[in-house]
Order: sequence, then C-alpha cells, then structure tokens
Amino acid sequence: MKKNRLLAALLAGLLLLSLLTGCGGNNTGNQTNNQANSSADQGDADAADSGELEGNIVFWHSFTQGPRMEKIQAAADEFMELHPKVNITIETFSWADFYTKWTTGLASGNVPDISSTIASQLVEMIDADAVIPLDDLIDEVGRDRFYENALREMTAEDGQCYGAPLYLNTEAMWYRKDLLEKYNLEVPETWEEMYEAAKIITDGENGAVYGAAMPMGTNDMLATRWLHLYVRSAGETLITEDGKANLTSPTAIEGIKYWVKVFEDCSPADAINYNTLDEATLYYQGKLAFDFNTGFHISGVETNRPDLMEYIDCAPIPRVSADDPAVGCETNTTPLVVWKNSEHPEICKEFIKFMYEEDRYVDFLLSVPVGMMSGIKGVTDSEVYQSNQTVQDFKHADEVLNQMLEGSTSIGMEYGPRAEAGLLTSQRVIEEMFQDIVMNGTAVEDAAKAAENQLNDLFSTVG
Amino acid sequence: MKSRHLRAQAASFCFILPALTVLALLLLYPVVTSIYYSFTSKHLIKTGYEFVFLQNYIAVLTDKEFWTSFLTNIKWTVTSLFFQILVGFFAALALERIGKGKSFFRTVLIIPWAFPSIVIALSWKWILNGVSGYLPNILVKLGICDAIPQFLSSSALAFPVLVMINVWFGAPLIMVNVLSALQTVPRDQYEAAQVDGASPLQSFLHITLPHIRIVMGLLIVLRTIWIFNSFDMIYLITGGGPAGLTQTVPIYAYNVGWGLKMLGRSSAVTVLLLIFLLLVCALYFRILDKWEKEA
Repeated sequence: MKKNRLLAALLAGLLLLSLLTGCGGNNTGNQTNNQANSSADQGDADAADSGELEGNIVFWHSFTQGPRMEKIQAAADEFMELHPKVNITIETFSWADFYTKWTTGLASGNVPDISSTIASQLVEMIDADAVIPLDDLIDEVGRDRFYENALREMTAEDGQCYGAPLYLNTEAMWYRKDLLEKYNLEVPETWEEMYEAAKIITDGENGAVYGAAMPMGTNDMLATRWLHLYVRSAGETLITEDGKANLTSPTAIEGIKYWVKVFEDCSPADAINYNTLDEATLYYQGKLAFDFNTGFHISGVETNRPDLMEYIDCAPIPRVSADDPAVGCETNTTPLVVWKNSEHPEICKEFIKFMYEEDRYVDFLLSVPVGMMSGIKGVTDSEVYQSNQTVQDFKHADEVLNQMLEGSTSIGMEYGPRAEAGLLTSQRVIEEMFQDIVMNGTAVEDAAKAAENQLNDLFSTVG
Repeated sequence: MKSRHLRAQAASFCFILPALTVLALLLLYPVVTSIYYSFTSKHLIKTGYEFVFLQNYIAVLTDKEFWTSFLTNIKWTVTSLFFQILVGFFAALALERIGKGKSFFRTVLIIPWAFPSIVIALSWKWILNGVSGYLPNILVKLGICDAIPQFLSSSALAFPVLVMINVWFGAPLIMVNVLSALQTVPRDQYEAAQVDGASPLQSFLHITLPHIRIVMGLLIVLRTIWIFNSFDMIYLITGGGPAGLTQTVPIYAYNVGWGLKMLGRSSAVTVLLLIFLLLVCALYFRILDKWEKEA
C-alpha cells in the first residue's frame, strides 16, 4: 500500500516535472534558437561582407496543382544548390487557406518571408503594412518589360510597387465549336448574339447541354465577374473613379437584366448556387456551350474530358454592339511579395529574380500552357514556348487571350489598386442581389439600388 | 487517517493537474478572448483597436439579417434534432430486435459518422446536382418527376433537403447510443411485466423509456449544441443560399468576421450564441437532474 502511494507520488511528480520541463524546454529551445539566430546574424554579417547569401526563408504559395508545385520546388532546389547557405522551405495552401493563414498570422508574426498572392489581397497587405516595396527588383528585371496595368495594380498611393507579377490570367469567352457547328451558329460577337446562340443550344439539347450557366452562388464571386464583363465591355466600371459602386447606371441595369434573362432561359436552375468549381466542372463535363474563364480551362478539359479538347476554343468577350471595339475586360495578376517580417529580404528578392531567368520562367509558364500568361513581355516568343504542343494546338486561344490582356485589370482596379475592389468581390453583395431578383421577384432597379447602397456603405468602412 | 486521505487526494490531484491545466487553457482562452474582443473594434487585419463597449452588440441585435439567420438556425436545429432522434431511436429499436448480423448493421449504419463533413457535403452536392446528379435523374427516368428536381436551388426544397442530409448524418450517433442504453435494460423487468399482462406498448412506456431517457437527454444536449453550431455542411452545400434561405447564425458570424473582417462584431455574435446555448443547456440539465432524482 505504502509502495503504491510512493509510486503514485513519484509518477505524479514526474508528470508535473515533464510539464515544467516542457515549458522550460521552450526556453532552452529559444535560447538555442537565439544562439542560432545570433550565429546566423553573425553569419549574415560575414556573408554580407563576402556577398554570399545565407539564411532560411519560408515561401508560401497557392500553386496546388502538381506540375506548378514541382516547378517551384525545382527552382528552389536549384537556387539552394547555387547558394548552399540558403534554405528555402516551401509551404503550399489553397487560395482560401492562404487568406486565412496570413490574416490570422499577421498579428502573431507568423507570416512567411515570401509568398504569392492576388491583387485584391495585396491591397490589404499594403494597407496592413505587411509587405515591402520591390521597386529595386522591378528595376533590375526591367520595369518596361512588365505589363503596365499589372504593375499599376501593385503600386500603392505612395508610388512604390509592392509586388512582382509572376503570371497573369485573362478572361475570355470559351465555347464549344462542335455545338456551334451542330446548330449552324457563328461565334457570337455581341451579348445578344451569345444569348440567342445559348438559347438555341439549350432548347435543342433539352437538358443534356446548357447554353450558359449564370453562376450566382454566394460562396463565390462569379456573378460579380459576369456582370463586370458586361459592364466593362461597354466601357464602364463597377467602381467609379471616385470610389463609388455603380450598379444603377443604364449599362449596369441592362447588364443585370441580361444575366437574369440568361439564367432564366439558358442556365440550369442549380446555377443559383454555383461557385467557380461547379461552373468549371459543368464545362469540363461537356454540359456547357459558353463559359467565361481563363486559359486554365484547357488543362481542366484535358484532365476531365480529353475527347473534347479539339472542340474547345475561346473568343473575345462579347460587346453590347458589334461596332464597339473588342476590349480586354479582366486580367488577374498573381504577384510574388516579400513580407516585412522577413529577416532575409535580400534572399527573397534574389530568388524572385532567379525565377524570372528566361529558361526557368518559360519552363514554369509551360507547367500550365496558355493558362498562365507571362508577366513579362516577349518571353512567350521564345522557341521553347512556341514549340509546346498545347501552345501549338491552342494558338488561336493564346492569341485571343493575349489580345484580351491589353488594357485590362482586376475587377474594380481600373483606376488603380483600391480596397473597395476587395469588398466588391468578397462581400457577395452582387450575388445576393441576383438571387433576390430571381428567387423573390424583386424588380431589377430596386435590387440594384439596394445592392449599390449596401456596397457604398461597405466602401465607407475603408475609405 | 485524515492526513493519509488528504495525501491520497493531493496525489490524485497532481495526476490530473497537467490535463486540467491544458484543458483550462484550451477552453478558457478562446472564450475569454472572444468576450474581450466583442467589446472592441478589433479588425481581422488592421493593427490597433479601441473599446467600443456595447456598440457591437447593438449593431448585431439591430441587424435584420442576424434575426433572420437566428430564426433559420432555430428551425434548422429543432427539425434536424427531432428527425435525428426519431430515425435514430426507431433504428435502434429495430436493431435490438435483430437476432443475427446486429454488429454488421450497426457498423454499416454508423458509416456517415466515419466521413469528414467536407466529403459528405461534396458527395451530396454531387448526388443532388440539378444537371448531372444521379438522384434527380433517376427520379425523372422512373417517371416520378417530369423535370429534373432542383433540390438545392428551389426555395421550397433547399432547406428540407439540408435537414434531410443532416438527419442522415446525425441519426446513426443517436442509434448507437440508444442501442447501448437499450442493452442495459434488465430483461427480468420485461418478463415480470409480461407475467403481469402488460402490453408491448406498456412495457415500452414504463420500462424502456425510463431506463434510456437520461442517455437520450444527454444526447439531446450534445446534439443541440452541435447542430446549432454546425457550419461546414451548410456552407459547403448552399453557402447560406439561395437568397439567404439557409443562412444560419454561424454563417452570419463567418461573413461578418471573415468577409467584413469585423472580428469585434463577429465575436459579439459568438458571445450571443454562447449565452443562448448556455440558457438552453441549463434548461435541459434542469430536466435531466429531475429525471435522475426520479430514477
């Protein structure tokens, strides 16, 4: 009995001790880390003297698809081989997880040294003073080699550029050649032509294929995108130059009515809940005649329905009138940024420059051919890029996408980077407006006015 | 004798102290932080915030969307819980009657619990897809429906369908627990009742129910909390739509906290949710205490 009690007390003591040691262990660990850091600092100083790069950096990216992930890892491995005292740790998150990670990590300092991002999030990062300017890097690579609009989206009010455009995505109208041929239809050039073609195909296919699927899901921003494409094609914007929402101009009202008509006459009813994945899946399954997306559609179809590869192509975004010029409406830039918390911004910048070296950069772009468009002009003229089989097969699509690239920006960034653009695409106000119209029968003008007011209220929180 | 007892108690306390410390930190930290932030203008990204006292609570309680979400949440919890208990309870009674293959059926029926909710949500979304979903298409092919039913986009169907999925997911847990409780009911009481000429219904009402009602009560408490707070299933299947018909308070809180980035206001929503659930649980436990005393 006495032995048992002694044993119990001993074990309890050990448990407590282990807890304390655990806590103490952190201190020891910290001390070790501190020692390591101070040696690293010393090493940095020595390395700086000798011009040799030294240190550990963490790189977060959202290129979750296999080939892109592999190319980034290969580039990092190559960089580390070239700089033996550098260690790059790569962590991959989906775009949604990435947003959660950095927003929550910011307060605790748990952010990476370098990361990929999107333009609307970059505005928030700049606003939170979380990233550093990269003008020196941009100048070294060659400022005039980057697309002007892409750089403008990365440039804050202080005139400094905070992101290095890694690649671009441009929206175009994707269609099925075989379906147009079956119904003796031309590739639509105007919105009305697209509606008519979509309706003919929807009626003719009797539920097997839909003309278009106007997506209104409130857990995504596709309805905002589709309305933006209509409004932008008519030369207007959803956010005016003075930072106000525009949903009630005659063009915007026309656009809302147009998409409601497309939803009612040409879309599956389920499209009311569609997000990006639902919409793209329908196209990949061969159940959609028209869709609006980037060159990533090619790899999506190739993975899901390789038999449809020869029937897909893209055309410029339709216009309100055939006399209007075909203009690019939306290009999203994916930049790399260097975080302010980084202890080794010099390594980060050197690595970004390394990524831009032509052979490596082309190799990276070709991991999703035609899908990822070059952030640097002229790179895709190279023989290696042009000889790629997908690039050759989709030469026309590549040309259209490059044509759409000129002059187009991210949604809401037409007058430069602004926090309102993030709210426009993240708050689902436009998606809720569309759902209100089609579910509750609210008049378009009333729903548009209410949504515009709601957006302006939201904008006032960041103004 | 007394000091020996005290020493033994101290040793026991030392054993559970590490676990208690971890538990207290894990439980208390988020609750205290949420309460604290609910009185501030804390933003998700921006550094620095100030005390706004009750402003967040006033903003939430005067927001029509909050009350709509709250009512939807009540509807969601009550209907889901009612049908989960009904299905789970009858499945348990049926399983108890089965002589052979009881453990096989028990394993098969618990399968929904073995899957992560993201898999369940996406699977159901695929099954019910209004274009290629096999359930709507089978219904048309069998001549039960003229046109493909839009389970997730129709204003009449979206909410009941979500409840049905939740019942499919939650009923097995009720079933397994009720089945375990049923197996603890002494057989001799049924035999005595039979000798006394009690009908099966009388045996059920006067023997079975009193024996299992405490287990049922605890299950109701747990399921109420889980169902009321459930977020992932609804968010992944309908995102709160169409037209806000399936938006519950957790989705509202998420939109405020992660969409608008108003962490302070979002914390106020969660604190209100906590108070409401505590009140509901207090009521439940009062009834449970009464039952325990009666037992």
